[in-house]
Amino acid sequence: MAKYITGALDKLKVTFDILKQNGGIRGSLYQLFRTDELKNGTVVGTDKYGNTYYENNRYFVVFLDYDGSQVPAEWYGWLHYKTDLPPTVKPSVKYKWMVDHTENKSGTSEAYMPFSTTKSKIQAWDPNARKE
Amino acid sequence: MFIGLVIVAFSLLDFALLRLLLVFLSFYYGLKKRKIYYQNPIVSGLLSGVQAGFMLRLPFLRSIPQVTRAVTLGGRTVVTGAPEKVEVFIDGQPVLVDPGTTVLQAAAMVGVEIPRFCYHERLSVAGNCRMCLVEVEKSAKPVAACAMPVMKGWRIKTNSELTRKAREGVMEFLLVNHPLDCPICDQGGECDLQDQSMTFGSDRSRFTDITFSGKRAVEDKNVGPLIKTIMTRCIHCTRCIRFASEVAGVDDLGTTGRGGDMQVGTYVEKMFLSELSGNVIDLCPVGALTSKPYAFMARPWETRKTDSIDVMDAVGSNIFVTHRTGEVLRVLPRTHEEINEEWLSDKSRFACDGLKRQRLVSPMVRDSNGKLVMVEWEDALVAVARALQSAKGDELAAIVGGFADAEALVVLKDMLNILGSESLCTEEIFPMDGAGTDLRSNYLLNSTIAGVEEADVVLLIGTNTRFEAPLFNARLRKAWINNDLRVASVGPKVDLTYETENLGDSVQVLKDLAEGRHAFSKVLNGAKRPVIVVGSGALQREDGAAIFQLTQRIAQNARVASNVGHDWRVLNVLHRVASQVAALDLGYKAGIEAIRAKPPKVLFLLGADEGAISREDLPKDCFVIYQGHHGDHGAAMADAVLPGAAYTEKSATYVNMEGRAQQTFTAITAPGLAREDWKILRALGEVVGVKLPYDTLTQVRARLTEVSPNLTRYGDVEAANYFAQAVELSKLIKAQPSSAPLDVRQKTLEDFYMTDSISRASPTMAKCVQAVKKQRQSKY
Repeated sequence: MAKYITGALDKLKVTFDILKQNGGIRGSLYQLFRTDELKNGTVVGTDKYGNTYYENNRYFVVFLDYDGSQVPAEWYGWLHYKTDLPPTVKPSVKYKWMVDHTENKSGTSEAYMPFSTTKSKIQAWDPNARKE
Repeated sequence: MFIGLVIVAFSLLDFALLRLLLVFLSFYYGLKKRKIYYQNPIVSGLLSGVQAGFMLRLPFLRSIPQVTRAVTLGGRTVVTGAPEKVEVFIDGQPVLVDPGTTVLQAAAMVGVEIPRFCYHERLSVAGNCRMCLVEVEKSAKPVAACAMPVMKGWRIKTNSELTRKAREGVMEFLLVNHPLDCPICDQGGECDLQDQSMTFGSDRSRFTDITFSGKRAVEDKNVGPLIKTIMTRCIHCTRCIRFASEVAGVDDLGTTGRGGDMQVGTYVEKMFLSELSGNVIDLCPVGALTSKPYAFMARPWETRKTDSIDVMDAVGSNIFVTHRTGEVLRVLPRTHEEINEEWLSDKSRFACDGLKRQRLVSPMVRDSNGKLVMVEWEDALVAVARALQSAKGDELAAIVGGFADAEALVVLKDMLNILGSESLCTEEIFPMDGAGTDLRSNYLLNSTIAGVEEADVVLLIGTNTRFEAPLFNARLRKAWINNDLRVASVGPKVDLTYETENLGDSVQVLKDLAEGRHAFSKVLNGAKRPVIVVGSGALQREDGAAIFQLTQRIAQNARVASNVGHDWRVLNVLHRVASQVAALDLGYKAGIEAIRAKPPKVLFLLGADEGAISREDLPKDCFVIYQGHHGDHGAAMADAVLPGAAYTEKSATYVNMEGRAQQTFTAITAPGLAREDWKILRALGEVVGVKLPYDTLTQVRARLTEVSPNLTRYGDVEAANYFAQAVELSKLIKAQPSSAPLDVRQKTLEDFYMTDSISRASPTMAKCVQAVKKQRQSKY
């Protein structure tokens, strides 16, 4: 019997911890609305977009924008269990030739459009081309 | 199987004997037809016996039909009794044929087609592929149908066991040394070898390469930028060689080696310097000679073919436009016995890639900075209409170029006439003095293209027919070979591919001829069927009227002296551009003299790209409108550009130089915003406020018929007469001939390729010019 009571109390404690971590009942409902789940964990760090990285027995991220492509390269390795050392513990090597991480722009006006490699069938006359 | 091979071996032996006989016979029949033979002393020694054999055969076989021809054309020659017909049986079907008819021709008469590779009805008989072997009853061996004249009562079996065995044997031998590269071969799908091996070949071969020595391989030859050679595929049918020496008149191709080592080529690396070179691509029964610009572009079953008319010269050759997904891929000749037979000139065939470059795809108007900018149709039409309305009727003028179709010509003329303008001119000059263009016979090739085959004396005045009308020149050459045609020319010395007497290039020669003082006058007066051809190039000069008057007098003298009937026409004008005859039929003035004399305020250029008029000839405020399909001289000087359709993109009427109306059909749609020319003009008329009474192509053609009924009688030559009256009227001409010698614009092959806005835009034509220039530097 006592086993059940302690179990129930444990669950209750976790529930309260989650509620507390997510900012009370209102905050939790908001989080549930945004991410469809409630978790608790230790905050490991935040990236340049403001996404927060947690660990409990697993590593996870709570997005600010709910967009999977918003995980910067330095956090990607930790989040996918390629390493257990997050960039807050072991900062990743930075070279000056490295470009900054960008999220996936598909579907926006900044989407990547490769140039066409098919030759146009008709080559139009350019009236202002310089004559040789 | 073994029997089949024995049969082939026997028939080859028979061929050797036959050849000896033919060598003997052709010497007997006289070697005055020396024109055909290979004359190069260095290489003639290299020629194998095989080639010498079939080269000599031509006069023998040609001499037979000539007897009958003298009879049919008769009237003048002594009429012998028509030769008795011979009855033969093809697969049991009786057929009556003339003596001398070959087995293959007799079979064709009853609709039985005998397979062949080397035989071609427009070339001499070679008889070396052996594919046409057929069984003849009571003959020990199968006979080569293409070379064997029929004998009385022969029973020919084209589908017997023996015949089929023989074909299988030949096919097997051919395939022993033919690569099996059909999947990467451009001829795939239109290959005679492929088709005939499917139909007549065996389903297996005894060729097993147990020593892995490989099949025969031959190095590819470089014969210029038009023909791609893959000589390993060659089956030695020698069609290309015979075409080059007989039709094109360029003895560049030949064979070296014999037996398995025989090679077809040019002996030394040399470009195939002919304006008809592309035809060997069609003639080649396998993929040894294919089109270089068309290489790996498409398979024949993927493409659509639209009947059309060629406009690169005034001959009006019939063509197929091959296209796929709105893109013209190639142009092929369409057989028309009276115009191009089945040949096509290289410019007509290969300049089609010029239709994809330098195109006008959107209307343009010059902005305040003096730059042409692309605008919508509405803006362009309004700008043009405003200009047209701002000028008085007599301040408007139009010049039409060489690609204008009859529909656009009539709509433009109607519109400007309603606006009050009468100065509508063609870019090509033609003397308007005397009868001018009022009598149609003055500006047509009255003898017709096929008609010159019957001529016995031809005088060419100021024209290089070889490059101005290559297929007309091919006809002259054909007549020169088969009909003992005598050709003389007045003008610069040019190589016309046949013997020509050059009478000098001075105008004095024409005067002497007209007055009957010249030594050649005797020949001309003694001619039975004389033909005088004057090039429109010679009439472009200041004294064009005087030259034309002299020509008319020469023609009239020859006509009277020869006493030919009214159906034989002597005077011919050889035009250079496709639109000229239709324009003159519609009443356009020839030449822009009137416009130079009275510069207009608004000038409409309909495809006028030859630079006959430039900005310097016009007042500063003159508004120039250009309508056409290519950005060239005309568009560059225009204030407003209206994009029209090229000849592959519209259904249009063109009249060739003999006065034969023909129509093109729409193969693809015009690029971008370009539209059919008559529609643009019709829309413009609407904006200007001129009600033109037609909305559809049929209605425009009804209007054409109203103006000149011959323009819509498609396919017919509308003959013209009143030669004597024209000569009378020409006496009114006061102009005196100048002392400048007669000249032609296109003298050598490099001048031939780029002559108009389409061919100037064509990369292939540019490559040809480069290649010919390079060839000129070579010591060969």
